[in-house]
Amino acid sequence: MAHDTSTKSRITRRQALATAAAAGLAAPALMRQAMAQGAAVNVGVILPLSGANAQFGINSRNGIELVADEINAAGGLKALGGAKINLVVADATSTPTTAANVAQRLLSQNDVVAILGAFASALTIAISEVTERRGVPLLTMSFSDQITGRGFENIFQVVAKASVIGKAQFDGTVEIAKGAGQKLEKIAIMYEDTAYGTSQATGIRAGAKAAGVEVVMDDAYPLGITDVTPLINKLRASGAQAVFPVSYLNDSLQIIRAMRQQQIKIPAIGGAAGYVIPDFEKGLGEFAEGVLSIAPANYDLAPEFTDRFRKRYGYFMVHEALEHAVCLDVLAQAIEKAKSTKPDDLRKALHGTRFDSGWCKAMTGGVVEFDKTGLNTHSVPVMVQWRNKELVTVWPSQVAKAKAVWSS
Amino acid sequence: MAILQALLDGLMIGGVYAVISIGLTLVFGVMGIVNFAQAEFLMLGMFIAYYAWAWLGLDPLLAAPLAFVVVFVLGAFIQRLLIHRVLKAPEVAQIFLTVGLLIVLENLALLMFGSGFRSVSTPYQTSALRLGPLFVSVPYLAAFAMSVACGLALWLFLKSSWFGQAMRATAQDPMAAKLVGIDADRMHMLAFALGVALTAFGGAVILPYLTASPTVGGQFAVLMFTVVVLGGLGSVAGAVVGGLAVGIIQSLSALVFPIQLQNLVLFIVFIAVLSFRPKGLLGAAR
Repeated sequence: MAHDTSTKSRITRRQALATAAAAGLAAPALMRQAMAQGAAVNVGVILPLSGANAQFGINSRNGIELVADEINAAGGLKALGGAKINLVVADATSTPTTAANVAQRLLSQNDVVAILGAFASALTIAISEVTERRGVPLLTMSFSDQITGRGFENIFQVVAKASVIGKAQFDGTVEIAKGAGQKLEKIAIMYEDTAYGTSQATGIRAGAKAAGVEVVMDDAYPLGITDVTPLINKLRASGAQAVFPVSYLNDSLQIIRAMRQQQIKIPAIGGAAGYVIPDFEKGLGEFAEGVLSIAPANYDLAPEFTDRFRKRYGYFMVHEALEHAVCLDVLAQAIEKAKSTKPDDLRKALHGTRFDSGWCKAMTGGVVEFDKTGLNTHSVPVMVQWRNKELVTVWPSQVAKAKAVWSS
Repeated sequence: MAILQALLDGLMIGGVYAVISIGLTLVFGVMGIVNFAQAEFLMLGMFIAYYAWAWLGLDPLLAAPLAFVVVFVLGAFIQRLLIHRVLKAPEVAQIFLTVGLLIVLENLALLMFGSGFRSVSTPYQTSALRLGPLFVSVPYLAAFAMSVACGLALWLFLKSSWFGQAMRATAQDPMAAKLVGIDADRMHMLAFALGVALTAFGGAVILPYLTASPTVGGQFAVLMFTVVVLGGLGSVAGAVVGGLAVGIIQSLSALVFPIQLQNLVLFIVFIAVLSFRPKGLLGAAR
């Protein structure tokens, strides 16, 4: 793979397609090579590469490809005689049914040892039904509570749960406001009615209830909304002091723009996803400055790792890319430990190991360790703020790189 | 006051719905074809306006006529090459063709533009006019004004120009139109090109407040069909009434019900209207 530092995401996509095509053509040669060194290990990657969540899928794939190339360049998987990691990437579109079908196909035809994906919680849930049935590990950075809440044995989530993230989104905001001398009494919540939006809103609501803060607006809206005006009218009438929108990209741009139009100056504290990718800043320009968001991880906490991403793809390492990179590195470390790619051995290694080297250091908490539900117990969400086209970690104070700016 | 604001918002967005739907109804009225790919031309219009902004620095509102022209030419080609062949074919063949066109256009867009969301940034995007306690969003107002201007131009064209009159004649009675020397094939080409170009124009004017992506058509397809059927399939005035009605119904319903039920309320009204007036609000008067 060419390391072109000037590539933008669109070119990368084509480049990736070209790479995939080249890989296809070169397959016989690679096979022979692989035979010599021990067979390549197929890792399934299912992401939304078209449809409403495509941008996030592409970001995620970039993160995974970076780590795969790094491992392969460093001599592959040592426990398997230097076997290379071979990614089998599939498009989940943005439909759960398709995601499940694709998972089925990867397992029966491509002989994958594990699956990574699929960014959107609704997709991950659909895939997990398949992987659980087949007993194959699924490593994910989706965080709807349902993912680890169903007693599945083959799911591994490297980030905190949505309700925890939602609560942190609220608690962090209260603390930042307090630091600026404002006491929050009324807040508004608006969220997309998907698995992700709904669980995270539950967390915000719980946080508000525990703190005795009144939720003056609590509205769900459908994915792919084309007119947010009614929501913003309601927000203006509600008298909230801060708003917590949980949305993907298209809706996040509409919400912030409509707020600015109506001169609503209250702080907006985004719920990750749409609020923490470069496109958000590109779409809003100066209006992005100062917008806060929760994030399951942020690149400025481990620049020694994430700069490798920036160097290769030309933009900062968004959290989904970072967490997917961690997923693949955890899997690779588990394979090294198990010295096998059998699903049962892998599951045991994933459950019983404290992963504290490589990309795991870039994750919040610095360590990845799964409890029996498959949840990483060390990850804690952070608050980030847009400052001059970059995301700066501003909360919690132990890891913050700068003090938050609160404009009420 | 909230009702007034909702009416205003609904009216503005309804005007845009009207313009993007007129194209659909025009194609049906003149050619008797239901164009399932219509919403994809909205997507094309958005992308043309996006690239005009990104490469030429043109405001999407100024790029709208450009989108109109480009898609007009494209539409004429598509009509000549594809639609023309199925005009007399069974309806099933027509449905297959336009649905096929939808899939092809969407996937071509995915290949060419990539699947990300693209958004322009313009100075007026985040501003609003204040009318006492009411807020008038500038991008909505601009889109509405452009839509009204476009609708008026179309009305004048259909009313007064020879082509417009000939087109209406073809819609009313193709045989009689032929007898008085109107070239029906040419009228069909003009109608289809005009229809998709209008939708593309609508796509360009809404770009300042929305984002363009290859799959954006899907979000408007059902809405467009609701608008034209509500107003009366084939009736241009019906599409205008239908568009405004849909915009206002959606906006008002959000006052009372959660925004997720917006379309539920819309379809309840839709079904009620159709059960009393099966041909739509203005169905009888083509």
